[in-house]
Amino acid sequence: MWENRCKVAVSGVGFSKVTRSADIPLAAHALTAVKEAVADSGLQLADIDGLATYPELPATGHTEVDGISIVSVNCMMTMLKLPDLGWHIQVGTVNIGGAMQQAVNALIAGVCKYAVVWRAMHNPRGTYQNLPGAYAQGAAQFTAPYGFGGPGQGMAVAYTRWLERHNQDREKMATLAVTQRRHTQHNPHAYFYGTPLSREDYLNSRMVAYPFCLFDCDIPVQGAVAIVLTTADRARDLKPRPAYLAGYGQRLHFEVAGRIGSLSNYMEGGSSSAKLTWERSGFSPKDVDVAQIYDGFSASVIYGLESYGFCKEGEALDFIQDGRIELNGELPLNTFGGSLGTGRIHGLWHIIEGALQVSDRAGSRQVKDANVSFVGASAPIVTGTTFIFVRDPY
Amino acid sequence: MSDWSKVTRPIPVPNEWTKPFWDAAKRGVLALQRCQSCGHFQHPPYATCVECISTDLKFEAVRGAGTIYAYTIMYHTGDKRFASAVPYASIIVELDDAPGALLAGNLLEAPHTEAKVGRRVEVIFEKLNDDITLPQFRFARIASAE
Repeated sequence: MWENRCKVAVSGVGFSKVTRSADIPLAAHALTAVKEAVADSGLQLADIDGLATYPELPATGHTEVDGISIVSVNCMMTMLKLPDLGWHIQVGTVNIGGAMQQAVNALIAGVCKYAVVWRAMHNPRGTYQNLPGAYAQGAAQFTAPYGFGGPGQGMAVAYTRWLERHNQDREKMATLAVTQRRHTQHNPHAYFYGTPLSREDYLNSRMVAYPFCLFDCDIPVQGAVAIVLTTADRARDLKPRPAYLAGYGQRLHFEVAGRIGSLSNYMEGGSSSAKLTWERSGFSPKDVDVAQIYDGFSASVIYGLESYGFCKEGEALDFIQDGRIELNGELPLNTFGGSLGTGRIHGLWHIIEGALQVSDRAGSRQVKDANVSFVGASAPIVTGTTFIFVRDPY
Repeated sequence: MSDWSKVTRPIPVPNEWTKPFWDAAKRGVLALQRCQSCGHFQHPPYATCVECISTDLKFEAVRGAGTIYAYTIMYHTGDKRFASAVPYASIIVELDDAPGALLAGNLLEAPHTEAKVGRRVEVIFEKLNDDITLPQFRFARIASAE
């Protein structure tokens, strides 16, 4: 087991408004989320001495402008003018989970006391994923000429392979979409709060990239979420009940860029990250009371459930049936609605919910006796990270 | 059947790693990067052999027969250049000669509904301009000589 398990905890969380259009600059969303997370902890902004983010805009064909389409560490530093800032980082791999892990390491190393991690996501005007212009460079030269654009089609091809190899039926995914949308109705911050989804809505919705219909894809939004992390001893003196971090992992598998369709890219990515997390925390899938598994595209949950070890390969669409992933089920899943419910904010919201559940702070969606909480914070491919939070340190 | 006649495809830009692939395609030959140390074929091209880390890599001609490894049917018309072909099948092919190497293409000369994992396909070539010819796929017309 990891000697530093339960030495860092989540103390505060914060959310901006989630909107479809980018009416105000993204920096304002990020600032709102950060301020709210700090206030939720019972801290002052001036107490914050560590900053971490993953700022990338996952859309293609759009210009990145700091403060408008991304919110970098430099942008946040400029806005906050923190008097005691002692550490910051902006990660380039493994998405926001990587920023979170670096903040954990910095706290353990003692180079900061209270770190804020935020994820701000922009919804650019026009088509989210634009194929490259007249020419296709780099890895895209082997994909874009055939009409492969963004990550959705890349994941769709792997999903058809999964479906047909395992004789599975895409209509079973309706259970995931409908259950998560029901969970969303307990999350007032979510984009689809107040908008129910029926099985018929899912089955009748338009195809985007078969096997993905509209409701297999998270909706691009503008918004930000943030989290305050501190050492366990400091967290115990703060207002909210701490969510202790028992272990984490990151994907250790990477296949050549442009090699799309490969199922092993997802499965080995996910299993390598989860293996580290189970070993470091000492837990196994059967110990988990509640799980958040990244769902930017619905199939990500399938690859997650299987590669993390919650069920065998080929079984995930059956695993999610019969009430198992309901709030009172055997494995309550994406209890905040997931990205399919909140809108595309990436995995920090999954991390936040994982922490809230073991702190008894999840409101009307609180899972009873949530002692061990698992989070797969990004798609197991490329950006995968995994975490375990616990109610009681051990 | 998808109407590709009005589609303007992005033109691949060969680089140091990929130029031999496009040079061969221009001659109507499918050539993939092969490790001269362990014999492994790979695609897309890379700096090292992904099996044995050797940097001794050369492009070798392969037969264009393979199976559909995975596919998607594109309905979204976000990219207007492809809108006239929607719905169309974008496929990933694993060649008999190069297990593990995955090539993207479109399924041409067949309804998109015919795309299924495991179906046999063969390479054909689609000339984009004087410099670039695109490997593409259609259902196999001759039984493969495996």
